[in-house]
Amino acid sequence: MVYAGRRKGGDTPVRRSRAADRSSVIWRWVGIVVLGLAPAIALAQWLGYPTPGIPRKPGGAPDMQAPAPRTRDGHPDFSGIWFANVPSKDYCKEKDCVQEERMAREQINLGIKMPGGLPYTEWSKQQMVSRRAHGGRDDPHTYCKPPNYPRAWTLPQHTKIIQTPDEMVLLHEFNAAYREVYLDGRPLPVDPNPTWNGYSTGHWEGDTLVIETNGIRDDMWLDIQGSPITESARVTERLKRVNLGLMKVEIAVNDPKAYTRPWSVTIEMALQVDTQMLEEICMDNEQDVKLYRPE
Amino acid sequence: MMAKTLSFRLLVAGVALAAASAAGAHHSQSEFDFKSTVEVEGFVTNLDWRSPHSRLYVEALDAQGKTVNWDFELPSPMTLMRRGWKRDSLKPGEKVKIKAATARHFPNIGYAIVIRDGSGKPLFTGVTQIYEPEPQAKTP
Repeated sequence: MVYAGRRKGGDTPVRRSRAADRSSVIWRWVGIVVLGLAPAIALAQWLGYPTPGIPRKPGGAPDMQAPAPRTRDGHPDFSGIWFANVPSKDYCKEKDCVQEERMAREQINLGIKMPGGLPYTEWSKQQMVSRRAHGGRDDPHTYCKPPNYPRAWTLPQHTKIIQTPDEMVLLHEFNAAYREVYLDGRPLPVDPNPTWNGYSTGHWEGDTLVIETNGIRDDMWLDIQGSPITESARVTERLKRVNLGLMKVEIAVNDPKAYTRPWSVTIEMALQVDTQMLEEICMDNEQDVKLYRPE
Repeated sequence: MMAKTLSFRLLVAGVALAAASAAGAHHSQSEFDFKSTVEVEGFVTNLDWRSPHSRLYVEALDAQGKTVNWDFELPSPMTLMRRGWKRDSLKPGEKVKIKAATARHFPNIGYAIVIRDGSGKPLFTGVTQIYEPEPQAKTP
């Protein structure tokens, strides 16, 4: 249909060369293929396009309870698109129908399910008092800074994992960002230059992928309320793929500057099928910073 | 020490309240007052389809009959597309009814809570926890 539109609106050539005839034949085939894919295109890019290789029930629905897939070397394969395991909820009240955005509660407070909350040091409490005083104005994320892990697990964008025997790559929709986790046995760096995601290596303990990270910057936030994580942090993430549709990520943080003791939380990630990664480039049109309380 | 502990508890409670109105966003939305809502009926002038938040500009008349240009914040195109929106779901000139939380420090800016197009059909806004869900009926 795209081709037909172009032809209809274009100039009619007076003479055609052989090359043009061949081109015409090619375009005709392209047109046929495009028309054949029309139902998928109508769903906007590849939203709704069936993810290949997914076990499905009769009728085509993904079988999320199917066993976790494995790589050729026998390890669980975490490859796929993931989002916090939060069901959508729609309801109506007083004639207003509201469709809730799926959002992990941990996005607000990573320790929300911990009895007593995260064990903040006095220093990190004061950090949060300051951050709170400015609303969300000081949040690096408001300023469109990168989606730093482990916070990125809880953000309202999708993560795509690509797993090879030697490396796992995590792509994140926010700012089209990436994170690398080396599985090739290399040690963590000594005295690394601090970065947003730090430096990560992983090893297998049975079916659990254990990711160790150091070299995180000193001024990172773990959640919207401003829980800090600093350069002194050592983060251990334990990834377990329960079945096709569910992954559990235990996030253990040992950061003596910000917390009085090591702590851990576990969040659930749900496999997203029949969808695609959609980029969200924050700097394109950020306008919220100016809306917070003026200086 | 007691005062510090108390203020910190208040801090956490305050954050929880503010964050409860985080609506399809990647940050706190304390710049909007979700207890102060406005209802606007007007005509779309532009749907600015960009990240991190789409923005819907609407021309409406205020109580004095003066033309006002409203700027309504929405989730990102990415989030909206996954809930059925297209970049031309609302076209310039289209009539809309909008209920929005107002910006705390600026006039005529809001976060859209409910949007109905010209036919009255509601469109997804992604607002969370603005209304408490209806209580579930007790089963005998």
